Amino acid sequence: MMINFDNAATTYPKPLSVRKAAADAIMSFGGNAGRGGHQLAMRTSEAYYNARETAAEFFGAEPENTVFTLNCTYALNMAIQGVMSQGGHLIISSMEHNSAARPAVALALKKQITLSVAEVYPDKEQTIESFRRLIRSDTKAVVCTLASNVTGQLLPYREIGELCRQRGVCFIADGAQACGIYDIKLSDGINILCTAGHKGLYGITGTGLLITDGKYPIAPIIQGGTGSESLSLFQPTILPDSLESGTPNIIGAVTAGEGIRFIKGRGIDNIRAHEERLCRRFISELSPVEGITIYRDEGAEYVPIVSFNAYGMGSEEAAAILGEKGFCLRAGYHCAALAHATLGTKGGTVRFAPSVFNTEAEVLKLVYYVKILKNLQNS
Amino acid sequence: MPSYTYAVKGQRLLRQRGYPCAIKRRSKDSENGCGYSLYVGDRCGRAAEILDSYSVPYTIRRDGADDDDKL
Repeated sequence: MMINFDNAATTYPKPLSVRKAAADAIMSFGGNAGRGGHQLAMRTSEAYYNARETAAEFFGAEPENTVFTLNCTYALNMAIQGVMSQGGHLIISSMEHNSAARPAVALALKKQITLSVAEVYPDKEQTIESFRRLIRSDTKAVVCTLASNVTGQLLPYREIGELCRQRGVCFIADGAQACGIYDIKLSDGINILCTAGHKGLYGITGTGLLITDGKYPIAPIIQGGTGSESLSLFQPTILPDSLESGTPNIIGAVTAGEGIRFIKGRGIDNIRAHEERLCRRFISELSPVEGITIYRDEGAEYVPIVSFNAYGMGSEEAAAILGEKGFCLRAGYHCAALAHATLGTKGGTVRFAPSVFNTEAEVLKLVYYVKILKNLQNS
Repeated sequence: MPSYTYAVKGQRLLRQRGYPCAIKRRSKDSENGCGYSLYVGDRCGRAAEILDSYSVPYTIRRDGADDDDKL
């Protein structure tokens, strides 16, 4: 039997309502959204808009400022490259995923922007101070993950957002690991929120969101058909069309919308409490065990993700052995070079990331096998 | 309407306030090409006020008949 604890990569299983919505969408929404005027196109367009409106309401945004993307990486690339298209200074945190770090570094290498990296500390005041110190007169944007995809550390995003607001800097937030777990709103001080639809929002893969308050223009990095202003050879400037070229993932968007309805039905606080309870049990069982390293610091806050290593084994080897016992755990570097450099985890870590569907019995089963990993390695 | 998204947003705002309206594919050629119109019948003025209050962009086009105004 397979037990998935790799929900930080993508949640699985999906809620029944999401699976049903996907099947219904394939059956009923076979047209193209925002293009034609016939019955099938209009029905599909309305379903797509419903998903947009659901996401907008969930994050405290206007529907037209809620852009569907392929994933969070696309959203972050669009936001970073779009906001920094005229150059300037950019600050990213030292816990960023490569989806934010790579486009930032690429722009810096091309001399289009200047780039600074703000160190993240367990103490939130120190973290805020490291951002504050780096902001200068030509700083255009701060990119900061709301929670590390490696350790789950929650960054002080409200304070960083307030700092950005005071200094007239665009705050681009990566919500991939926090959305669906915490009640994230643009009113938290976020100008542009980028997130995945297939993680905490329980949609299918191939879904992401870029949600903006509209304060900072985002130059499109992809141009093409939008269903609007078709006689113009110039990309529309109006949102969401300016950032949604080409046929969208309509079925995916519908599932993301249904996923959000699932979260609202369960209660986001209940979901977080359940996953936190599983993490606490995992940590309390394993932290006393000699040879187990859990990457958490006192004083820091965490979303329900736990990174660990065991008995000096390589993280990939540990995950592979646990994989043979039916557990799905992500090992290695989690596409987060900066974060692992910050943590000093040269061999990577094994990441435990439960979802609302995991149970305490499953956690205890995993704990049992983690405790005997050394024996399994030798057998 | 400048986009389908604004057409639906406008339609829902108007319907919530008791103004029946329908989204239709733009029927006549326009300088911008494809698009959608929001048909509001003979209540164009009041509909426009509501859309203005929610910053929904539109262009008023009158087809002649009172009941054929659209945004």
